[in-house]
This record gives sequence, C-alpha cells and structure tokens, in this order.
Amino acid sequence: MNAAAGWFECDTRFIPGHFQPGMLIDLALGRGLNSHRLLRGTGLFYEDIVAGTARLSPQQWLALIGNVRTLPAGEDIGFLLGQRSLPGHFGAASHAFAQAAHLHDALDVLIEQRAQLSPLLTPRLEVDDNRLQLHWLDAYGCGEQYRFVLEASMAAVASATRWLSGERLPWRFEFRQAQPRHIEQYWVHLGDALRFERPRDSMVLPREWLHRPWPGASTIAAQGARLESQRQLAEQRLHSSLLDQLHDYLLAHIRDPLNLERVATAFGLSPATLKRRLQKHGTHFQEQLDLARLHVALHLYEARGYSNDAVAAYLRFNDTTNFRRSFKRWTGQSPSALRQLLGWAPG
Amino acid sequence: MTALSTVPALFKLHRLKFAGLLLIANLALLAHLWLGDSLPVSQWSWTDIAGEGGSALLVLVWIGLLLRGRPAGQVTTLLFLGLACLFFSLWIDTLDEVVELPFGTRWDKWLESGPMPVGFILMTLGIYHWHREQLAITAQMEKRERLFREYRLFDSLTPLCGAEYLRLQLQQALAQARDDRQPLSLAMLDIDDFSALNRAYGHAEGDRVLQAVSQLLVLNLRRQDLLCRLAGDRFVVLMPNTGEQQARVLATELREAVCHLAHRSSEHGERLPLSTSVAVVMAQHDDPQTLLERLNLALARARQPVQARRA
Repeated sequence: MNAAAGWFECDTRFIPGHFQPGMLIDLALGRGLNSHRLLRGTGLFYEDIVAGTARLSPQQWLALIGNVRTLPAGEDIGFLLGQRSLPGHFGAASHAFAQAAHLHDALDVLIEQRAQLSPLLTPRLEVDDNRLQLHWLDAYGCGEQYRFVLEASMAAVASATRWLSGERLPWRFEFRQAQPRHIEQYWVHLGDALRFERPRDSMVLPREWLHRPWPGASTIAAQGARLESQRQLAEQRLHSSLLDQLHDYLLAHIRDPLNLERVATAFGLSPATLKRRLQKHGTHFQEQLDLARLHVALHLYEARGYSNDAVAAYLRFNDTTNFRRSFKRWTGQSPSALRQLLGWAPG
Repeated sequence: MTALSTVPALFKLHRLKFAGLLLIANLALLAHLWLGDSLPVSQWSWTDIAGEGGSALLVLVWIGLLLRGRPAGQVTTLLFLGLACLFFSLWIDTLDEVVELPFGTRWDKWLESGPMPVGFILMTLGIYHWHREQLAITAQMEKRERLFREYRLFDSLTPLCGAEYLRLQLQQALAQARDDRQPLSLAMLDIDDFSALNRAYGHAEGDRVLQAVSQLLVLNLRRQDLLCRLAGDRFVVLMPNTGEQQARVLATELREAVCHLAHRSSEHGERLPLSTSVAVVMAQHDDPQTLLERLNLALARARQPVQARRA
C-alpha cells in the first residue's frame, strides 16, 4: 500500500465523504440531480456518505465531480462549492484556519492541512519583497475536472479570506487557460482582476496584506487549534501526494542531473514502477521535470531579476537558445514575450 | 444533507390515471385470451406486430412524458384521455395479431376502431386548450424572456434566464437597435456583501433572497425590458429603445426597490439588510461580449465608493 510508503496516490481513499464531497452532493441534489445519477460509476453509496463512514479516493472524488458537471447550466457549481468549503467543518483543520491571526497564518494552515482543506490541488505560497503568490498545483491528476477544481479552490480562498479579514482583499487571479466562455462567473465570484494565458494558476496579492491582523482572531484559541490539527494530521497518517513529493524533490535537486532512474531510486521504486505510477496520474516524468524547471525559472526572473543567460546557466542548459526553446514549450511564450507581458525587470 | 428533492414528483399526481389505463389494457388482454385462442407463433405476422405494437409502445412513452412533466388540470386530463384512447386502439390492434377470436366476434372491432376518433377529438380539444395555456404562460414570462424560448438556458435557481440566453438576446437586440436607429441600454445590479449574507444566514437563505429579488425586479420593469441573472447575485436588465439617461433613472428605481424590500429570514423572521450597486451603459458599436465587459467595468467603478465607505 502506498500509505506505508509515505505518500498518497489517486486511488488512496482518504477524503471523508461528508467533507467537500458531501457539500457538492447537497448542491447537486438541490439542482435536481438524483442521487443515483450523481454516484453512478463512483463505487460509492449515498448512505455511507450520509453516515460519515465513506472515504473517497481522489479518483472517486473526480468521478463524482464529473457526474455533477453533466448538469445543465452548472457553470457556477465549482464556485459555490468553493465558497462553502473554507473554513468548512472539517474538524481541527477548519478551526485552525478560522482562528488564523492574519493571512499568512491562514495560508500556512491551508498548506499544512491541505489533505483535508484542499485535497486535490496543492497550494504553494511564494512571498517576495512586493507580493505574495499562491500557486495551485495538480496533486493527483485532475484531468478534465481540473478547471472545476481550480475554480472551487480559488473561490474558496478568496471567499474565506474576505470573510475572515472583514474586507475584500485585492487578489489578482492568473490562469493558464484561455478566457472561458462563462467569464461572468469569474467576475461575480472572484472579481475583476483576472488574467488568462499566464504561465501558472496563481492568486497574487500585494505583500502588505500578509500580516494585517484579522478581527476576531484569538491567539490562544488559534495556537490550540493549530496544535490539535497537527496532532490529527500525524494520527490519521495523512500524507501528501506522490506528485507533491516528486515536485519537492525536483525543486530541491533542480541543479543536479535528473532522470527517471535516479529519482525512482530516491523514492525507493524501480524506474518502471515510478513510470507506471506517474502514468496513473495522467502525467510522465519529463512533464513533471519541466513543471519544476518552469517554476524555478519564473522564480529566478521575478524574485531575483535574473537574465535569460543566468537562468539558463542556473538550470544547467548548454546554451540560452536551447533554454529559450524549452521555455516556449513549457509556457507557449518566449521568455522575452512573457517578460513584457508580466513587466519583469529587463534582464 | 437536505431532502432528496424539494418538488414532489409530478408523476405521483397522475398515478391513478396511469394505473387505470394499464388495468383496462390488461382486462382487454385477459378478455382476448379467455374468449379466443392464441395463434401459434408460426402464424404471427411480425411486421404487423412490430408496426402496431411499436406504435402502441411509443404512445405509452408519450403518456409517460406528459404525466411526468405536467401538473394536474384540464389540459393534462384531455391530452391524457386522448392519448389513452389512441394507445388502447393500437393495443387491441396488436392483440388481434396474436389472439384469434371466434368467428363472428364483433366487439373487438368496436374496441379497435371506436376509441380512435374519440381519442383524436379529445387530443384536439386538449391541444387547443394547451395553446391557450401557452399564451397565458408567455404573458406571465413577459420581462423574463423575449421572442424566443430555450429551456436549456433557464437559470437553475431563479425564474429567469442566464448569461447565455442574455448573450443571444443581446445579439438580436443590438442588431435591431442598429436597424431601427434606436438607443439600447443595459443596467447591471449587484447585491452588496452578498457573500457575508450567505455566511451569516446560510446559503439556503441567500438563495431565497435571490429568488425574492428577481421577482421584485420583474415587477419594477417595463413591458419591453428583459431581466436575466448573469451569475451569482448579479442581474442584468436589457432595455430596448432606451437612452442612457432614462436607463439611469430606471436603474436607480430598481436599486431603491431592493433597498425597501423587507425580506425576512425564514428561521427567525428578522429583516435582512439589502442594498445594491448599479451601473448603466448604452450600447455603441459593441458586440455582446464587449458590451457586457464594459458594463461589468462600470459596475466595478460604481462599487468602489461602497468599498471605500466600508474600509
């Protein structure tokens, strides 16, 4: 079992059915979808979910989402799910989030408790001198449901931080996708600061908001809830996903020569097994490596102001032309085009 | 978890009708079997059985769809009786193919041919009243739809149409306005702090607010206006033959109407404070999407003072 190996995969059943899935089921039933159609092909029973005993694997959760998306006029469901799901009622993790003293605290809890608060997408926080960026990464291979899950995740953070801070935070939302047809849902549920066809799926905010104290936060209650949630995390053996851990590993070793064999050894797997496991998540080694290299490259451009040559050298590309070509493959745009678009310092 | 379904299934209203029809069909079958002899399979005419039996089956499907989709009432009863007669005729016709009645039997011919004309007369009456009913419903849908109906674009929560329908309407209205050299204006309305209201009173109460507000807005519109729910708590009014000044007056009235709406929570009956922000634009040389974007931008600007007041 993967759990023993210290990570979760897309068929590990760890998502309590009455958490986010229960909320989505409520929403879909309210729209007139019947429970049979809703659970068709998921291998789940309505009674188990109501009883609070069902545990879903990411695959099952995604199948459920797929069924809900057959509803006509359901473009808003992802956003509505998101607005309900944070802080949520997921025990100590939700308490810790709701008691956060400021945004930084809340995002730390979100990241630490992501197995409960954001099981499908991994939030990653990057803070530089001017701003914070919350990047969203696919943790289990969401495939066709990725956009829905992303809409829910961003709406969750936007809505919860607005509620807890008592004011509308001026988030800017960046998406890899092109502008969708149902753009009005983004206007209403996220706001007007939307950017499409960007290199990452991120939420961006000026840094000054990071440590502004939130009203109603209590230090002692917050500390208690945080410790309690950490205890639960350890007790329930909630691990992060294979893709998460792979991404971390690649980031940490980005300047080393990396290939499937080496990484498989580091994970205690044979290359064939790692390959198969990645395939199960709808990805492959090169894609994950490219993703890690892209994130490092963007960080070097934005936070350190590196030039193309410097980034290429850092990532151990033989020459800059080669790097530029790769970068275009990762993002669809050359570094200089993106530099202009995003207003980085000229390199 | 909420109850499985909030609306009682319409079919339940008609269970007796449907059971009665099946009972009569079965009685006819029994009478045939009792009085006649079933033909050996080798003598069955499969093309006739498929043709007549298949038609009977399809009519039964129509009856099922009709009863599942319509509340009880005169129109439903007429259509049901008409279709039931049709089904019965075809059913007897099919039975003839597999059961041979004694020579000289007449009653089965009556059962086969009698209900057919009666059925057609009842259906005709039913469809005539259905047509009257449609006119009445269309009148009720005034200000919520214009010129064309597309059920797939109905909003799931409010009795309005959604963004996709609005885009289609805008396309037509923009072309019409250009042809007639008439102004066309749009207003956008957004409930202030709706997410806080959802958090404080629950999402079910928020949904009820949206339903109440949409009804209220419809009441405050002129006959030619069209109201759609764009998304969430944001509404758009399409106002043909209306200049920006006049549209602004109307939008302000809508805002005041919502302000004065005493919507009470279903739990404790306290009044929920409601206010809205509005924005108005007049169409220039826009396509539907850019016009909506311009309107959305105008709303964002209109809301800034509201947010500044709060901060």
